[in-house]
Formats: sequence, C-alpha cells, structure tokens
Amino acid sequence: MTTKLTMHNDDDDVTRGLRALYAAPVGEPYWNELEARIMARIAEVDLGWWAELDRWARPALLAAAVLVLAAGIAMFRARQVETQTAYEHILTPSPVPIETVIRPTLEGDREASLRDVVGHRDRSNGRP
Amino acid sequence: MTVASAVQPTFAMPSPSDGQPRRGSDERALVVLAQEGSNEAFAALVQLHQRRAYAVCRAIVLTHEDAEDAVQEGFLHAFRALDRFLPDQPFGAWLYRIMANASLDLVRRRKVRDADELSESSPAPFRDPGEADELRRRLTEALTRLTGRQRSVIVLHDVEGFTHGEIGSMLGIPEGTARSDLHHARATLRRLLKDVRSDI
Repeated sequence: MTTKLTMHNDDDDVTRGLRALYAAPVGEPYWNELEARIMARIAEVDLGWWAELDRWARPALLAAAVLVLAAGIAMFRARQVETQTAYEHILTPSPVPIETVIRPTLEGDREASLRDVVGHRDRSNGRP
Repeated sequence: MTVASAVQPTFAMPSPSDGQPRRGSDERALVVLAQEGSNEAFAALVQLHQRRAYAVCRAIVLTHEDAEDAVQEGFLHAFRALDRFLPDQPFGAWLYRIMANASLDLVRRRKVRDADELSESSPAPFRDPGEADELRRRLTEALTRLTGRQRSVIVLHDVEGFTHGEIGSMLGIPEGTARSDLHHARATLRRLLKDVRSDI
C-alpha cells in the first residue's frame, strides 16, 4: 500500500526514517567493546601530579584566602592604630605652648630686640 | 563501600532493548565511588550511559565513527571533571552536556580540517550506497539541507525524546531557540519531502 508521507506523530514516517538513520548499533558485543575502549583510554590517563594539585587546590586556595584575610585585617588594624595615634597627637594639647617657649639663652636677645622696636616706634611718634 | 555493594541487590543494568540508564541512589552511589577513585564504578557508569551518550553524540556529529570518537572523548572529559560534579545533581544531564560539548568540539575541528583540505566541499554524512528505500534516500538528502543545530534538535527531540529544555541545556541555547529550531527543521523536512510516498 502506498500512502502519503506523514509527520508530527510519534510513529510517523519521517520519525521512523530518522530512527533508522540514527539507529545506534545493536548487540552487546559492540557496547562491551566500546566500554572496553573507553576504559582503556581512561586507564591511560596519567593524572599524576596534576591530580594531586587538583586535590590540594581547594584547601590551598582556602588557606591562601584565610591568610590574605588575616593579613588584610592586620594591616587595617595597624593603619587604624597609626591614624588614631596621629589624631591623638594633633588633638591633645601640648603641656607648654610651643610659641611661648623660648630658649633661655635667647631670652636676653629677645628683651633687647623688644626694647629696640618699642623705642623706635616711640621715636617715630615723636615721643622722647 | 564497594562497587558490588553499591550495585547489589537493587542495581540493574539497562536491558539492551531499552538502553535507558537507571537513575537514583544506585547511580549516585556509583558516582561517589568513582569520585573516590574506583575505576570499576566509573566503568559501571559508562555501561549505564554509553547508549544514550552515543545517541546524543550521533545527533550532533555527522558520522557513526565521529559519534564513537565523541563518546570516548566525552567520557574522558567526564572522568577528569568528576571531582567537580556534585552527586546531588542528575548525573545524566551533566554527562550528556559534556557529550554534547565533545561532539560540538569535534564538529568544529572537522569544519576547520575540511576547510583546510577542500573549501566549501559539503560533507556526505548520510550517504549510504546500499539504501534503496525512497524515503530513506530523500530523508538523507533533506537532512543535509538543515543547519547542524536544526538537525541535532530534531534528532534529539523526535528520535531520542529529549525535551526542549534538555536540548537547550545540552547545546547551550535557550529553550525557545530549541523549540524554534525544531519547528523550522520540521517545516523544512515537510517541504522537501511533501511529494515522497512511502510504502508501508
């Protein structure tokens, strides 16, 4: 019997044709042999030190991350202490104001200079 | 835990007729054992999934030989990446994605090689000199008129029974694109084969 080609049904001609074209090999021997070939290739895989590296990669990364974090915290704290000290140094008033401190050896010179300046001003203003 | 205890008594190999992998705790146990380094457990996973893996690869590559190569490459990739697989995920979906990627890689390599050897020479993937059936011959020709992705989508959907979402995930395309590809593939085949009559 000859019929028109059908599609879209589970069991239509095209789907049947596609199934025939893409049919997987049948028979256990074929699959057993393919499995053997796959496992032979896997047996050849020399994971070696790469596998060890991969095995240790995660713990190593974790340890590195913890170290970086600890170093970061330590640096932050050190900086914080430094900043705090600098602020305290600026904000805490010195026991003796700097501008009033005069070296004792210069005290006489200061008096002389002061007298000279005052005397000069008086003379300029016409005072005796 | 040993492979034997993981497999027995509930573990059952797929029958040759259905070729569908069993899923569940047995498979998870095998995956865990394989992750712990048991090649025997991995071999059991190969045995469970190789038919379906072949079907996925065959839908993407052009020849049976390429599908075999892609299956082997895929299992090799899976073996290397096994440490990164989370056993709570469905192993099949993960594996078939790897298979699809291995197949797509192979197709890309073939394209480069073919371009180097003979530019623009169309491969003859479906030529079967012995086939006499008119539908088969015309279908073979019609399939070459589809894009590689459309062909993969229609085979994965209509022949292998994967859903649009699964196909999208395997081929790295949105589900909607898979749906659209399927629609266009069917429309193209219908147009090209409308005058074909098949003896049933």
